[in-house]
Amino acid sequence: MSSVMKIENLQAKIGDKQILKGLNLELEPGKVHAIMGPNGAGKSTLSKALVGHYDVELTGGDIIYKGKNINEMEPEERALEGIFLSFQHPVEIPGVNNAYFLRTALNAKRKHEGKEELNAAEFLRLMRDHLEMLGMKSDMISRSLNEGFSGGEKKRNEILQMLILEPEVIILDEIDSGLDIDALRAVSEGINKMKDGKRSFLVITHYSRILDYIEPDYIHVLKDGRIIKTAGPELVAQLEEHGYDAIEEE
Amino acid sequence: MNLLELKNKNLQEVNALLGIKDRDILVERFCALGLPSKKSEEYRYFDVKKLLEPEYKTLNYVPKTPKTSDKVEIVDGVVIALPKGMRVYNDACQMIDMDHFDPLYYLGHLLSPQTIKIELDGDVEVEIEHRFTKSDALINYRIVLYNQANRHATVYENFISDDIENTLVLYGYDMHLAQDSTLRVVKMQSMQDAGYGMVASHKVNVAKNANAILKSFDLGGDQALQLLKVELAERAHVDAGHLLYLNEDSKRGTVSQIVHVGEHSTSKQEAKNILDGKSRGIFDALIRVEHSAKYTKAEQNSKAILLHEDAYMAAKPQLEIYIDELEASHGATTGQLDRKQLFYLQSRGISYTEARKMLVIAFANTLIEQVKDTRQQERIKASFEEAFYKGNM
Ligand SMILES: Nc1ncnc2c1ncn2[C@@H]1O[C@H](COP(=O)(O)OP(=O)(O)OP(=O)(O)O)[C@@H](O)[C@H]1O
Ligand SMILES: [Mg+2]
Repeated sequence: MSSVMKIENLQAKIGDKQILKGLNLELEPGKVHAIMGPNGAGKSTLSKALVGHYDVELTGGDIIYKGKNINEMEPEERALEGIFLSFQHPVEIPGVNNAYFLRTALNAKRKHEGKEELNAAEFLRLMRDHLEMLGMKSDMISRSLNEGFSGGEKKRNEILQMLILEPEVIILDEIDSGLDIDALRAVSEGINKMKDGKRSFLVITHYSRILDYIEPDYIHVLKDGRIIKTAGPELVAQLEEHGYDAIEEE
Repeated sequence: MNLLELKNKNLQEVNALLGIKDRDILVERFCALGLPSKKSEEYRYFDVKKLLEPEYKTLNYVPKTPKTSDKVEIVDGVVIALPKGMRVYNDACQMIDMDHFDPLYYLGHLLSPQTIKIELDGDVEVEIEHRFTKSDALINYRIVLYNQANRHATVYENFISDDIENTLVLYGYDMHLAQDSTLRVVKMQSMQDAGYGMVASHKVNVAKNANAILKSFDLGGDQALQLLKVELAERAHVDAGHLLYLNEDSKRGTVSQIVHVGEHSTSKQEAKNILDGKSRGIFDALIRVEHSAKYTKAEQNSKAILLHEDAYMAAKPQLEIYIDELEASHGATTGQLDRKQLFYLQSRGISYTEARKMLVIAFANTLIEQVKDTRQQERIKASFEEAFYKGNM
């Protein structure tokens, strides 16, 4: 089995605190990996480590992406190479126009891939199509990035970015938290649309609801900085019934 | 001429040095305030000595018959072109503020007994272009601007220099806004490698119910200071905004005094400062509310972003209040670009340089977008981006 991303014995600190304590995980192409685990276990820390967030200091182990160690790679380079994180708490950026931001990001990627950049009109057409699909209002084009967006609108905006940037490894950190039923369905549809048999998904969640829609291939349990169990989707029901304490490390 | 010779001189000596007479009241005010130095409150953060020290050539200001143009063109202190139908006189200034805080306001008047008097006729939009062509020179002139009652005028000010070196520009406005009028002045100065220092000393009289909107966009290099005094009559309003983008070792900014004289007068002043390199930004701003100015509203705010650890912001917002019946707020913050925001942009594949630029422009845009005219707004945006790119190559 060839993996898109291989995380080996990853150890990471935030400040003085050791959060990831030898974490192993392999993302297979075309598969949906769900990560579940108690609050504070290190799920967001893992996602941040994968995109090179400044909070996280790697103290050991390797992140291998497409056969290359990316421990030291700059965040923008990871993005250009196809790694995408939908943040648990997307930041608001007043004064930066949402459409302008997205076009800049897309064109940076296209340039990186040797493709022609899109002009404003071409980009708007693309953005409008996706907005409609996600049930987002058209004023999301002219508003400032995430500024004053409701919780659900922020999450949809993350999915919009994913759809436009077409990344290869998609990490979704609690994309389903705080979504109403319609938003959850729209977001899930967006995710499913990205499934192409090659892209890998890492879906961090606390709820089985979203997993009903996006049908994970694997469930990983992350506890105290390590993956302590990996199983098929049937594990979800067991977790919901007995909680994380009942899980024995493999 | 060497301006430092005017240091600690009395009335007779100043008269003799400047070759003037019959203007003793002004000379007295100048002597009382003294030539600016490091010790003067309003020039404390500025390197005024460097500007006053050199030996400057003085110029002859011979009025010309202006040709017709789409704007007012002032070259080295002389009006050479005017829009059709516009009236400009060379005349003595009749109304000089005898209580201005800036000694160079008086020196400016003393050096320029004839001012350029512009009457804004009707609801007009005028562009004033200041051009400087002389090196090693002291260029001094004053403009008197009248806005008539009930009229709503806009002035766009731009500056151009022709490769000059080591020149000091002392210019300034006496603006008079008649009752119920609106005057909007948008000043844009963007010459990065300008070979001149500038001290612009203004006085703005805002009559009853009139509205002064003063926006300055200072993206220049080297040294410049604008000294602004605004006086508000009953129900008069001023909305002042100052954008500063500095790099290398430039020192620039605003020293201002907004004086509420009339009841129900309102003021709003907002400074946004972006400082890179070893630059120093200045925002030294006093709002004074007189006994007569009940029910005043005053709001003042300065925000600075330091892009380099050697950059420094001297922000000093101050309130001087003599009554209880008012609403006033003021504050100043200085910080760096938001790391979380930077990271968010980078995590989408946007380079660090580009992300930084986007955030800086976002910070500046709230001020730039207050310029309603889209052509002017685009121009300021473009100049800002050009200045910023230049500093971030
Ligand atoms: N910036 C930070 N400074 C200090 N501690 C932090 C920081 N970020 C995370 N932590 C700590 O690291 C630990 C792991 O946090 P993380 O956000 O990875 O948990 P999580 O598994 O995502 O939890 P949740 O399910 O609540 O989102 C927690 O104890 C948290 O308090
Ligand atoms: Mg989390």
